[in-house]
Amino acid sequence: MVLGTEDATPVTFWFAVSPGASVQMDDLVVVETRKPDGQTVRFYGLVDHVRTRHEGVTFDSDVADVVAGLLPASVSYAARVLVTRVSPENFIPPQPGDTVGHARGDDLRIALSADKMKRAFPGGLLADGQVLPINYQFVNGESGGHINISGISGVATKTSYALFLLHSIFRSGVLDSRHEGHATRALIFNVKGEDLLFLDKFNKEVEGVERGVRAAKNLPQGRYDLLGLPMSPFQDVQFLAPPREGGSGVIVPNVEQRLGGVTPFVFTVREFCARRMLPYAFADRNASLNLGFVIGSIEDKLARLAQGSDAPYLTVPDWKAETDAMLDESVRFSELGEARIETFPQLVAYLEYKLLEENEGAGDRRWTGNQSPATLQAFIRRLRGVQKHLSPLVRGDLTAEQATKYRPNILSGRFKTSVVDINRLGSHAQMFVVGVLLRDLFEHKERYGRQDTVFVVLDELNKYAPREGDSPIKDVLLDIAERGRSLGIILIGAQQTASEVERRIVSNAAIRVVGRLDLAEAERPEYRFLPQSFRARAGILQPGTMLVSQPDVPNPVLVNYPFPAWATRRDEVAEEVGQASEDMGRDLLGL
Amino acid sequence: MRIRLDPWPVDTQDGQLTLKPFAGLVFNAETDHWAAIPTRGIPHRMRRLLVVDGKPRMEARLLLDDEAGGMSVAGFGAFVVGAVDLCPHGSRQAQLQGVSASRVLAYSGDTPLEVTRLSPRNPHSGLLEYQPHAFAGAQVEGARAAVQTLMLRREQAMSAELASPLPLDETDVDALPDTLVLQDGPVRPGEAGRAVVGYVKTLHTDYLGADRIGLLTALRPGERTPVLRFKLGDRGEGTGEGREQRFTWYVRLCDAPFYQHPLAGVMRLEMHAPEDTDFVPRGVQDIADLSGALLCRLASQPHKDPRAPQNLIPTAALEQAMGRAMGSPEMVTRRIRAHLAGQYGPRVVA
Repeated sequence: MVLGTEDATPVTFWFAVSPGASVQMDDLVVVETRKPDGQTVRFYGLVDHVRTRHEGVTFDSDVADVVAGLLPASVSYAARVLVTRVSPENFIPPQPGDTVGHARGDDLRIALSADKMKRAFPGGLLADGQVLPINYQFVNGESGGHINISGISGVATKTSYALFLLHSIFRSGVLDSRHEGHATRALIFNVKGEDLLFLDKFNKEVEGVERGVRAAKNLPQGRYDLLGLPMSPFQDVQFLAPPREGGSGVIVPNVEQRLGGVTPFVFTVREFCARRMLPYAFADRNASLNLGFVIGSIEDKLARLAQGSDAPYLTVPDWKAETDAMLDESVRFSELGEARIETFPQLVAYLEYKLLEENEGAGDRRWTGNQSPATLQAFIRRLRGVQKHLSPLVRGDLTAEQATKYRPNILSGRFKTSVVDINRLGSHAQMFVVGVLLRDLFEHKERYGRQDTVFVVLDELNKYAPREGDSPIKDVLLDIAERGRSLGIILIGAQQTASEVERRIVSNAAIRVVGRLDLAEAERPEYRFLPQSFRARAGILQPGTMLVSQPDVPNPVLVNYPFPAWATRRDEVAEEVGQASEDMGRDLLGL
Repeated sequence: MRIRLDPWPVDTQDGQLTLKPFAGLVFNAETDHWAAIPTRGIPHRMRRLLVVDGKPRMEARLLLDDEAGGMSVAGFGAFVVGAVDLCPHGSRQAQLQGVSASRVLAYSGDTPLEVTRLSPRNPHSGLLEYQPHAFAGAQVEGARAAVQTLMLRREQAMSAELASPLPLDETDVDALPDTLVLQDGPVRPGEAGRAVVGYVKTLHTDYLGADRIGLLTALRPGERTPVLRFKLGDRGEGTGEGREQRFTWYVRLCDAPFYQHPLAGVMRLEMHAPEDTDFVPRGVQDIADLSGALLCRLASQPHKDPRAPQNLIPTAALEQAMGRAMGSPEMVTRRIRAHLAGQYGPRVVA
């Protein structure tokens, strides 16, 4: 019954729990009140606080007298409700004495606004084993888009939850019901370890773990069954990894744990120039304004230089590389007398020549654009700095076939999910790859429009889009956050601390998820969408438990989600030996 | 000249210690040897203890005009009687029992009055129903006295109903009842033959006299004086013939702090005595023997109750519960006003 000793308001109220009944935090409840004209109003809400205390006693030490049987006292067991929905929308307060009950069945659907969701996918299980629906229209960009996940690394299991959501989106039938199943894709950046390189392999531990959880929580079915999701790994996945350094001719993916099924990706020197990737080689564009001008004009010059041919390398008439061991059969007549730029260091050397050495140190005036030598030197110095990181990625010493084969291809082809492994790259190269791929994706979607949603999973947003500072990749992410939803690019971003990520990226996310948080972090304004009791609880969340806030439901909901059915480490892979070795053999043979 | 504190706070109606000498005769009932007697603990046979108390309240003074132009006094009053049911050995939780309020329209005069019903202002606040009750006389305080009388009557009925019978036969070894009632104030007529002990928190009457009162100071916590017997209302003029007799004894609940009067921490217990007997029945004796242990267990602490230790822990809880059962006096006053205004005036005044 609703308490009369605490204020009962249309947004929050306390109720007394009858003897014998039990209420825990996160339970969904419903209460009905009657207006004087006889109309009933139902309040649906979420229990965010429960407490017991002795009533009728004054002193803390009275508990000893009560237990000793001297002092009559009764235990008051009360719970606080945050209202999630009032139906119909008459914001009158509930009356003290109105009976509160658990929301089940249709009441539960209304409490979670599931009746308003035309298309929904499961976002996890509530504490009592009921499914939390997430409105797909707030994910795919129709009404809102983007998902943002915060939490301490390691225990918050941000990436796992992001992948669970993807799995749920792909496999719950929400896409089929919209006839988008074939065209929706996901681009996942693997930034830490090689955790995500086994997404297509069944996890041999999942059955045991889920059986244990089912027994411990006394669930009627396994968690995957309750959610209506198959307990299976991802399908149609391609794995892209940067090539190993130094390998000339043969391009081998730079991965350690996974032996087969990983495609290396490279960019040709010509692509680097023609597709204007130069700015992404600079992480801190705002170092000085002049440097920005130099980058812009060089980017332009290189793009012009790259026009007119489709060979992986560039040819320049006015420069001679130090190494001239290039004469082989593939020389074209039109290129005679011109120098080839086949590697990234050569490109850097060429730029240095044009800017600082030509004309006895004055540089080519058309390239230098009246910038002071100091600025130009800074530009070259920075380029030299990233040269080591980028040279395996940007190459010209490829055949045209290799260039096509190893060009990262995310949107077309049979693969629904692409995992791009950048964990072994240096920080600059990571930024470069993420920036270039996202920019390409964005430009592609700008041309072709919003059908065929693409989900981008990117962890460590505080590195790519920090609150302070400015970088080309932050621009791309901001573009995606602000315009992406209308173009069908949905960012599933994760970070340890939302307070250190560009505010507009976080605020544009319709679905916000919080795992275990540092308590100091939880008090920052970015988490004000969590009521106080939830913020306090964010500090003690267990792995596999998340607080999910979505626009349809005014209060966040605590969910748990099943152990991944896909392997996250090599020793979790349930291998069918014959099959795997056959695959591996085929990969080695390049079939 | 020494200045000592009366243990109770000044805002209670009376101090704890007044010590007016008792005019009548007091007899030794138990023994002629005037010395402290230690407690014997609470026997397991006793399973249930009920602490009974009552609380009256006046809610409005009324003046009644009749058609003939006469005027008489009346009052709206309320009273509660209740009990705390507990196990003296602490084997179960204490529970409140029968704490419910009754409302009375007490009036003087001969014309019978109707029940007055104050309808609720909203469905949660409940109906107030004042049962008419005529009292004799026309004193202004008659209504208050009438309510008090009704309360005492109910309290006594409750005590008598709850308590086990107590055979007043000297020799019966199994005389100790399994249910004992501790009733606030002295025992009252009609409770004879029941295991009802009245506990008197204050020492307003000195039954001992100057030569014996020194023992009270010397008592240690839990110890008691021998049982005495006196006749109710005996003023030493021989007019008390035929009145009921009482056993009484004193118990110390705690040591008196040095700054308080040495009699702080002592209270008096009272039980019915059969007519002119010179022995203490076994049941009374057993109750007196356990009283020290029982009361030390129930005694309250000075930082929790200003009338500690005499205001027992269950009593304080019961008083609070009874006050709550009668409802907020301001609210009731307001409803009475609104009711009368609704009856006689054009508009309801809240």
